[in-house]
Amino acid sequence: MDLMFALTVIKEAKPKSIVSTDTVNGDAHIQIKKEDLIEFASFLKSDTRLEFDMLSDLFAVDYPKKAERVEVIYNLYSMKNNFRIFVKVSSKVEETEYPSLTPLYDSADWFEREVYDMFGLKFKNHPDLKRILNPDDWDGHPLLKDYPLRKRPEPEEIKMDAPGYIE
Amino acid sequence: MFEYKDFLIETDKFSLNIGPSHPATHGVLRVLVQLDGETVVNAEPIIGYLHTSMEKYAEFKTYHQAETITDRMDYVAGASNNLGYILAVEKLCGVKAPKRAEYIRVILAEFTRISSHLVWLATHAVDLGALTEFLYCFRERELILDIIETVTGARMTPSFYRVGGLAMDAHKDFFDKTRSFIKIFPDKISEYEALLTKNKIWLERTKNLGIISAEDAIGFALTGPSLRGSGVKYDVRRANPYSSYEDFDFEIPTGETGDVYDRYLVRMEEMRQSLKIISQAVENVPEGEYLSYDEYPHYVIPPKKRALTTMEGMISLFKYGMEGIKPPKGEAYVSIENPRGELGFYLVSDGSAFPYRMRVRPPSFCNISALNKMVKGHMVADLIAIMGSVDILLGEVDR
Repeated sequence: MDLMFALTVIKEAKPKSIVSTDTVNGDAHIQIKKEDLIEFASFLKSDTRLEFDMLSDLFAVDYPKKAERVEVIYNLYSMKNNFRIFVKVSSKVEETEYPSLTPLYDSADWFEREVYDMFGLKFKNHPDLKRILNPDDWDGHPLLKDYPLRKRPEPEEIKMDAPGYIE
Repeated sequence: MFEYKDFLIETDKFSLNIGPSHPATHGVLRVLVQLDGETVVNAEPIIGYLHTSMEKYAEFKTYHQAETITDRMDYVAGASNNLGYILAVEKLCGVKAPKRAEYIRVILAEFTRISSHLVWLATHAVDLGALTEFLYCFRERELILDIIETVTGARMTPSFYRVGGLAMDAHKDFFDKTRSFIKIFPDKISEYEALLTKNKIWLERTKNLGIISAEDAIGFALTGPSLRGSGVKYDVRRANPYSSYEDFDFEIPTGETGDVYDRYLVRMEEMRQSLKIISQAVENVPEGEYLSYDEYPHYVIPPKKRALTTMEGMISLFKYGMEGIKPPKGEAYVSIENPRGELGFYLVSDGSAFPYRMRVRPPSFCNISALNKMVKGHMVADLIAIMGSVDILLGEVDR
């Protein structure tokens, strides 16, 4: 079963969730609606013809000019059939109800923490949503396009009574 | 009458903090371990101590400047990371490198695979108390780094590839040195194995430890030797051949139980297979151009000789240096088999000379996320063995 056949299978089974499909440089991209994400992903995973059993990657791209500026991309791979598709979901940055795929894929846990850290999407029902690469008290989300490259945190006040401080 | 349990002391669970600066974590990994006596109840890897935001940094570099970021990500297998990135840019531009360049790329990538596995074996063995192994492995790693230096000029961070080929043609010395390395190395692998493979202490320390089943491994998106140790025959070089890997004949070793020992055996066999690929590539390197400048003059730099002797080559090189290459709008994903697993690059281009977004799919990041699953119920000392066996590299985990 090849990728193009898989695309027609998906299109026939879930016509309502799909916004658009596209093939770029030999990769299949499917844009879907956010509210149907969990249902769509569990179909991809459980369907015996497709069996997308590995969530190989999950990341986001920021397009500041769009209304829903963050595009979350799911890189799903099927071990049995040896093909991959990219599922895209658009979302706002302030989104707090973003569906989490942790019940379906174990690897989604850390990937979603990274997307939260870098883009600020809050995943609903994630077991332990906290920053992963930046410190817990970091301000802002670095991979958004309006975050400057060389932003540094404010220098902390030097504590005069700290042990080891020599004037 | 007292019973045995009356002499036992009541204990509570307690937390132990391993790292971020600990010799057995190979970098700045911190593991927060919950212990019941000496048994691990829960182990949470905490990462980010080496985070330098390379993905953000790449958005402010031209396509060729960003290549230098990728080998600093995985400084033990630099040439391999460069390959993944440059293939992604080539896919974006629709450029194909000539056969000669592809073969030399394969030789370099396989050399870095061997040298990376040597570093892994050396440090893993030291963690478990075998110091001799360390000295043996680093002895041969020096030979490999010398060969890489002969052709690229750098030992660990080559950045030798260009879009559509190589920075320069490989020297005759490179092939001679490679041939003499192929002659000596099989004996050296037997030497490493003689010390460990049937060693009673090594077996006790690695067998039936850190078992992860094939389903769990796929669920956690493990790739590379960690996945193949669990018996899944998945290798990007075979599944989606890139850079002429379909021309070479090699085996994909797999384990059975998915424990530390299986991952060790898989990596040892992979070194032999890499050597097999190198020997095939070295004997069959085709003659010809090392840059496909004639086919794709918009994206590929002219070879050095033509840039210095022809007017049109000089202008082209100047434009290339001043403006950089501008791939068409679009997105491209390429994944390659890194020593640690599947390394993917997802590039988004907006038509300018800078990548709009560079996403790296880091193999070590996924591999270390499964640590908790592997260590539950084992001893603290085994945690070190399991952590070593997944072969993480913090530069790439944190990026």
